[in-house]
Formats: sequence, structure tokens, C-alpha cells
Amino acid sequence: MTITLIFTFTGIVLIGVLGFVGRRTPAADLSEWAVNGRKFGALAMWFLQAGEVFTTFTFLGMAGLAFSGGVAAMYALPYIPIGYMVLFFLAKRLWSMGRERGYLTQGDFLEDRFGSRFLGTLAAVLGVLFVLPYLQLQITGLGLIVKLVTGDAVSSTLSMVVGCVLVVAFVLWAGLRGVATTSYFKDVVMLIVLVVLLVAVPAHFAGGLSGVFHKIDQLHPQLLTIHNGTNDHVWFITSMLVSAIGVGLMCLPHTWPALFSARDPKVLRRNYTWMPLYELCLMLPMVIGFAAVLVLPKNSDSNGILLSLSKTVLPGWATGLVVVAAIATAMVPAAGILIGISSLVARNVVRVRGERKQFWVNHGTVVVACGVSLLLGIFRPDLLANLLLLTYSGSVQLAPANVLGFTRRVPIGKGPVLAGLIVGELVVIWLTFVDTHLVGHVNVGLVGLAANIVVLLAGALAERRTRRMRVSEVSDDVAVTA
Amino acid sequence: MRSYYLIPLIPALALTVMPFLPFVNSTGLWFGLPKMLVWGGVWCVLCTPAMLITERVMARRGEDR
Repeated sequence: MTITLIFTFTGIVLIGVLGFVGRRTPAADLSEWAVNGRKFGALAMWFLQAGEVFTTFTFLGMAGLAFSGGVAAMYALPYIPIGYMVLFFLAKRLWSMGRERGYLTQGDFLEDRFGSRFLGTLAAVLGVLFVLPYLQLQITGLGLIVKLVTGDAVSSTLSMVVGCVLVVAFVLWAGLRGVATTSYFKDVVMLIVLVVLLVAVPAHFAGGLSGVFHKIDQLHPQLLTIHNGTNDHVWFITSMLVSAIGVGLMCLPHTWPALFSARDPKVLRRNYTWMPLYELCLMLPMVIGFAAVLVLPKNSDSNGILLSLSKTVLPGWATGLVVVAAIATAMVPAAGILIGISSLVARNVVRVRGERKQFWVNHGTVVVACGVSLLLGIFRPDLLANLLLLTYSGSVQLAPANVLGFTRRVPIGKGPVLAGLIVGELVVIWLTFVDTHLVGHVNVGLVGLAANIVVLLAGALAERRTRRMRVSEVSDDVAVTA
Repeated sequence: MRSYYLIPLIPALALTVMPFLPFVNSTGLWFGLPKMLVWGGVWCVLCTPAMLITERVMARRGEDR
């Protein structure tokens, strides 16, 4: 346990140091800090965008989902390539608009495209509200990893505090460049660990990969199919669609700075082309989840199964390496999310004059957002847990606004878009917290999106009719005057 | 709609309908792995050639500038 603990804290400090190394001189302005002056090349962009995908959920949650739901975990595989195929066509336009108009955030984009400051602010507030629980999830995940491996609550809390302090420090100093340098380390160590586990765990418990699945086929065949129950066909396809919409239509606010930071749109298109191959790595923790079915009791904590099996199969130092990889999947995405949140607040919520003041608001938000998430993670870990349910279903309500904004000439005004957005969010909140069984296993984000689009279209028709009436009134007036 | 949009649509559809295909969503294994994993993995890999072909078609038509 001591070796594991030494590895754990060395890993946390190493990630912090790597983040600092990302920048040698302080950033001159918010654009330099948040999108690296739009000059990241192919390699940095690759790791930045891959970094958004491989989080604690991917590392620990995918194994847990396969453990509890079998192949239902596969819902998480297709949505990213599908989203990337949409972005393959959209990214160039979005990047070009960002460069021409100086966008740094989703709020900047919507505010400019619809000529509505209110829409920009509302999108930013919603973005912060939906992504803050995601930030807390990474911090709580970090503590959970340490607790699972060491069994010590004090070490868990200490790791959360040290991790947060280091993330805040390197994010303040290095901005997106710090996220990029830590992403290199994170992805390399994570891949090594996953490949080692893929070989070691099945070999130890079932004589190899094929052995695991032959035993599953004999003993738990229900885990090889999507069938009636919590994770049925409807759940699978609607969850996948909502997630694909979220990725493909850029609904999550922390993905915007990474896209704008590319040197040119070809880099983005190349990434979206090759990234689906990288996504196959998502299957590696799934295999560990299936192996766990054969050896762990059914009521085991699903989030902890990857670490439990690692402890059983690997020596202490190797388990320490697994913990470092798991911690990296918490700290690096947390840094990216912090940049997304702080730039939204500085640019679209607290509107101060002057670049210097904006920079200070941004940096203050980094400290406050991480501090709040840490305190809630330690004292009230359940408080934001409910909001986490809204992260994807709530965020996708911005999809219609984004799609209209991508068009050359925005065809619908701000009124219908705002009305649709508000109705969509209300429907999602209602179905998530009040009438939770009304739509069965359909993802509430999709229901909210349907309501959102209906209201938007009705509003657009009303807007067009009003405009036509006004035009005819004006022409009547002109005729009378003539 | 331009025809090159249809190329990535093929793997996207194959991935989306995965749980509704009876020969995929069934017990038994392909190459020692669950059928869903094999089907999902193969179509995930095929997304890359689909986008490469699309890029080439777009370049030939001069629509990637």
C-alpha cells in the first residue's frame, strides 16, 4: 500500500509539473491563454481532443458499465465517431468564423450570430451550470481512486486537495498549453496501463481474452445482448443519439476552446478522420468489466472494479502506475473543463471592460470554480450529483441554436431560438426531477430537444408572419402616401 | 444534398442500428468476442476510410477550400 501511495502522490505532482512546463512566459491575453493564440499543430490538437474523451468515466466507468450491463456499455463507442463525422464537415466553418470574429467561447458565437447578448449570457450560464458537476465528478473521481486503492479516507481527501491546488496552479500559469502537455503524458500512461490490464487480467482469471468471453457466453449470456430492462434498446439508441448530438453539434462548452486553438482547419479535419481508430481504446476497459463479472460479487462497487482487479493481478508498483493513469484521467479533463468554464464567465457572464480586467475575472473564476467543486466533493458529494444528470441532456438543448448559427445567413431570429431553448430546458428539468417515469427509458434530452424544435419552428412561423404583416403594412402606407 | 455526405452515413447508420440487428444483438461469439463488440469495432474502424474517401471526393471537386 505504501508503494501505491508513493506512486499516487508522485503522479499527482508530476502531472502538475508537466502542466507548468507547458508555458515558459506568462500569457499576454485571454486568447493566448484560452486558445493558445490559435496556433496548435496536429500533435497537440490530437492529444487535446483525445483528452476530452478519455476521462475518469471512460477509465473506471466503462469497466463498471460493462460489469453491470454487459454490451450495453457499447452505447459509448459509436457516439464519438458519429459526432466526429458531423464535425468533419462543420469544423472548418466554425474555425474560420472563430478566427474572423474572434470567438473564444460558445457564448461569443451565439451572441454574435443571433445579435443577442442575452442569448450569449444564457448559453454561458447554462454551460457553466451543466459542466460544473462534470468538474466535480473528476475531482470526486480522483478521491475515489485513492480511497479504493489505499482504503484510507484521509489520503483520499488529501489527494483531492493536492490535485486541485496543482490543477488550478498550472491552469492559471499555462492555460490550454498546460492541458496539452499533461494530455501527452495522460494518454501515453493510460494506453500502457490499459494494454497491460487487457493482457494480465483475462490471462489471470480465464486463461486469456477468448476464455473470458467463452465463460460469459456459458454463464451469463444475457450480458452479450441488449434486452428488456434498464439498459434496453430504447435506452441504448436514445442515449447514443443524445451523446452524438452533444459531440457533433458542439453542445458542451469546454470543447470550444480546443477547436479554436487549431493552427488551421486541416489539422481538425485530419483529427476527426483518424480519431475513430483511437476510440477503439474504449473497448479495453469494457473487457476488464467482463472479466470482473467472472470473479467479483454482483453487488461490488462498479466504479471500483478496474482498480480491484488491478490490485489482485498486478504487483504494488504496477498498481501504482494504474492509479497514476486513473488520476491523470481526472486531473487533465478537469483542467480543460476549468478553462471552458472560466472563459465563459469572463467573456459572456461578467462583462467587464478592458482585457486586463477580463483576464483577472477569468483567473478568479478558475480558483472559485475549482474551490467550490472541491468543497462540494469533500463535504457534499451528492449535491451536484443530480445536476450531473443534466450535463448531456441539458447541454444538447443548445443544438438547434448552434445549427442555425453555423448557416451562412441565420434564417431564424433570436426570439424563437430563446423560446425553444427555455422550453427544452424546462422539459428536461421536469422529466429529470419531477415526473421521472413519464417517458420510460427514452433519454430526456431527446424529448426536450423535440419540444425545443417544435417551439422554435412555431416561433419561426410566427416571426415570419409578423414580418410579412409589417412589410405589407409599410407597403400600404407607402401606397397611401403616394 | 451532395453525394459525398452519403459516404460517412454508411458507418454511422451501421453503428446506430447495431442493437436492432438480430444477427448482431444475439448471444454467441465472433472470433472469440461478443458480436456487438466486433460489429461496433469494425464499423468504428471503417469511419476513417469513409472520411478519407469523402475528403478525396471533396478535394477533387474543389470543395475543401
